[in-house]
Amino acid sequence: MAGHTQAAHAGHAHGGGHGEHHGSYLERKGGLIHTIWDWATTVDHKKIGVMYLFAILFMFFLGGVAALAVRFELLEPVRVAADGTISGQFFKPADASSISAGNNIYNRLFTLHGAIMVFMVIVPSVPASLGNFFLPLMIGAKDVAFPRLNLLSWYVYVAGSIFAVSSIILGGVDTGWTFYAPYSTTTDSEMNSKVVFMVMGAFILGFSSILTGLNFIVTVHKLRAPGMGWFDMPLFIWAVYSSAIIQVLATPVIGITLLLLTFERIFRIGIFDPALGGDPVLYQHFFWFYSHPVVYVMILPGMGIISDVLAVQAHKKIFGYRAIAFASLGIAAVSFIVWGHHMFTSMSELASTVFSALTFLVAIPTAVKMFNWIGTLYKSSIALNAPMVYTLIFLFLFAIGGLTGLPLGTLSTDLHLHDSYFVVAHFHYVMMGGTIMALMAGIHHWWPKMFGKMYNDKVAIIAALIVFAGFNLTFMTQFLLGAQGMPRRYASYVDEFQTLHRWSTYGSWLLLVGFLIHLFNFLASLAVGKKAPANPWGGLTLEWVADSPPSEHNFDHEPIVRNGPYDFDTVVPPHWDPKDYPIPAPAAGGRPMIAHSPDKQQ
Amino acid sequence: MISGFFNMGTPMLGSTAAPLFTAEENLFHRLFFLKSGGSDFAVHTDETYMWIWWFCVAWFVFLMGLMVYFVVKYRRKRGQIAPQSSSHNTALEVAWTVIPTLMLVYIFFRGFWGYMDKVIAPGEALEYTLIGKQWQWQMIYPNGEDTPVVTTLGAKSSVPVYYLPAEVAIRLRMNSQDVMHAFWVPDFRTKQDVLPNRYTTMWFRPKAPPEGAKVHPKSEMEAKSAKSAPFIPGLEGVPYEDHWVFCAEYCGDEHSEMAAILRVVPEDAWKKWMDWVTSGDALKGVPPEKIGEKLYQRNCQSCHSINGSDGTGPSWKNMYGHDAALRDGTSVKVDDNYIRESILNPTAKVVKGYAPAMPVFNLKEKQILQLIAYMKTLSDAPEAKLPTPGLEAAPAAPAAPAAK
Repeated sequence: MAGHTQAAHAGHAHGGGHGEHHGSYLERKGGLIHTIWDWATTVDHKKIGVMYLFAILFMFFLGGVAALAVRFELLEPVRVAADGTISGQFFKPADASSISAGNNIYNRLFTLHGAIMVFMVIVPSVPASLGNFFLPLMIGAKDVAFPRLNLLSWYVYVAGSIFAVSSIILGGVDTGWTFYAPYSTTTDSEMNSKVVFMVMGAFILGFSSILTGLNFIVTVHKLRAPGMGWFDMPLFIWAVYSSAIIQVLATPVIGITLLLLTFERIFRIGIFDPALGGDPVLYQHFFWFYSHPVVYVMILPGMGIISDVLAVQAHKKIFGYRAIAFASLGIAAVSFIVWGHHMFTSMSELASTVFSALTFLVAIPTAVKMFNWIGTLYKSSIALNAPMVYTLIFLFLFAIGGLTGLPLGTLSTDLHLHDSYFVVAHFHYVMMGGTIMALMAGIHHWWPKMFGKMYNDKVAIIAALIVFAGFNLTFMTQFLLGAQGMPRRYASYVDEFQTLHRWSTYGSWLLLVGFLIHLFNFLASLAVGKKAPANPWGGLTLEWVADSPPSEHNFDHEPIVRNGPYDFDTVVPPHWDPKDYPIPAPAAGGRPMIAHSPDKQQ
Repeated sequence: MISGFFNMGTPMLGSTAAPLFTAEENLFHRLFFLKSGGSDFAVHTDETYMWIWWFCVAWFVFLMGLMVYFVVKYRRKRGQIAPQSSSHNTALEVAWTVIPTLMLVYIFFRGFWGYMDKVIAPGEALEYTLIGKQWQWQMIYPNGEDTPVVTTLGAKSSVPVYYLPAEVAIRLRMNSQDVMHAFWVPDFRTKQDVLPNRYTTMWFRPKAPPEGAKVHPKSEMEAKSAKSAPFIPGLEGVPYEDHWVFCAEYCGDEHSEMAAILRVVPEDAWKKWMDWVTSGDALKGVPPEKIGEKLYQRNCQSCHSINGSDGTGPSWKNMYGHDAALRDGTSVKVDDNYIRESILNPTAKVVKGYAPAMPVFNLKEKQILQLIAYMKTLSDAPEAKLPTPGLEAAPAAPAAPAAK
């Protein structure tokens, strides 16, 4: 009996019977040209989010191809026989007579991989795509605070990416994504434009980051729906908000640094190059003052996705909501005072000691989040679908990524592991095992909402497991390589390391297979996917109140927030269908409350 | 698949019965480090590392165990809702913040103590000078000599081998001639950036070669047959242990070939080795162009070819005695003076089509003449047939050994 009335109320909240009903944001308006123009000039945060998502996935593909090429080159060590024949070098000019030319190609490949993945994929990945799409939806807003600025940051992103990628056409850059001076200010001196294009690309991309961050901060402050206090915000919003603060504060530093680098290259002003009177360690300070906080720009939104997906898919109130929210802010604050741990081998002993101590501070809020996530699973109701499988993969890989940070933050062991494959592995466990796996969890979680289509869950889970296996094969081996003495950014290596390098390369092929299956699964979903219900997972946050896909203005009327984001114990999800979700236990006053329904207790 | 995996004489994994929890000589230690540390503070580093490793394993197993248990136990069952439970527990949350924090404090201090050992050299340490340049390491012994011994490693055909005395504290005073490099000795578990604008230092006290270490050959014949250390008079049968040096800070095209070997021998043998190097006996009777060829392999080969192919710098084939067009539009005849200037002041006259990328090479005057003698063997110019002034031709040396 209770089920009947609640179903009726759920239908009511859906907006049926309110006359004014808007079409989906994906609805075509006229012919092809008109549609393209409509998208290119849109100020709708959802369309901008989708355009970001496709641009970022395309760049992920480019960066991935470069990574596969790097791994392929490392299948065999390069050897020069007594008669000068070169073996084991796969990428080289046809007329190469020394290993130098082939090494040069390898160096350009790993630089391309790093620069694309960091500046064009991981930094914007979650905030610019899923953040753009869901931040206004989750706080019950029609759009971000500055929609035109939002469109501008997309075009700035595209311009920056074109700049950076065009350096390949000019012959490529071999500085590494960190552009360490004085190498970066002197290499390829016969052709300034290569390095300058890549550096200016990163410079321009920084503006896109700042604009997006600014937009989000204002949106969160000003546009929350009535009834949504700070501690009623979904944790994804907390995470995106924390990372937006870092973006706005830290990105100008890299902008200035890259500009100085460009000036030094073109006008020979001595800032970093000792030959001109500069100091290369100064460059490292400048660079990491931005690039360390930005590591948390990369991971915090991923952590936010995990908090939300975990709670919804386990149908459980998140354990220690405030601890997670404050941990996000704490990580953002501490991230600004630990940059020196990238420089234990070039700084003074005192500075290294201080930075090592500060570095351990980051471990604490990170560990707290981990405990809270696992605590949430206790006495929950876990749906083992693709978003949840990716969430579990995240927890597994991120735990390894976080724990392997300990020997790197510890001074005596870091002197051994610094700049080795151990660092490469640690970084990939955190960035790919963390952020990219969280992005995959988020895409699978919100795909039905974004495109109004379901995907094949079984295929997605199989692909996720292949990615998981491939990832561990690729990078677990690299921890061992690093500890055994393999330095990073090496086009070749001594024989001892070949076995592990080979396994690592095989792992990269497995990763390729996994991601290709995902790609086909998504394409199939777009083409022939089943229509998605408005709330397929039974979430309680506001995006699940909107249609799938949402209408152009998100909500038919301004939603009023009457329940917390994770009150699964007492609240019935919007668009609730008793067939799909068990009825929550009644609240103290009688029947359970329907999420965001205007009549809260009847 | 296991090709060459253990060719530095490393024993197989897990071939020991040592207990798992001691830092040295157990399966995990071998998996991570292949062999025990080659210097005394390396042992402390390994202990710290293994301590952190077990700390991480404990936490990881605990967390993942819980996760898997919960996922299995609380899988969603149709028609059933999650049982109610608290979403907040202050005591638990304080405990799981404070306990890891205390453990982290301990890890920090362990690392700090080990770090102090690594960065503070004892006062009586023997001082070596180390120069990093694209793309080679050059170490200068306390008496001002470089090493005459080279070997092959990886793709590089001339990796310098530096002899170090065992059980003696050695301090390196390091600087770079061009970009940043980092001096990493994996077996000593330490590294230090090598900067172009100031000296940096590092120190270590190598352990003596272990039982069953390789020994120096007893004769030239034996040295040729076994791929090992060269024959050195006075060091017959002396045990040695090799340690790699890698460059760990990306420095350009041949970053991965920037290697060296540190060869640790007992202190008395090291003194004999130093006498042998200082006396110049190593080069006695060798024709100057042959010594020049060795110098070329050691210093010049990574950028200059001898077969006419292009490299970072111009090929030396038919360079001597011919005119070279310069970047500034003028041209110069490649003679003794031009070569000497280009070695000591490489950016003064740069050949057209090449970047002014060559570092300064502080060769001795005699070595410069030996290099000139070698360059002459690569050229067909008539001047190349004249003897190099300042070098007495070695008796009965063949005219041009390398020019075919």
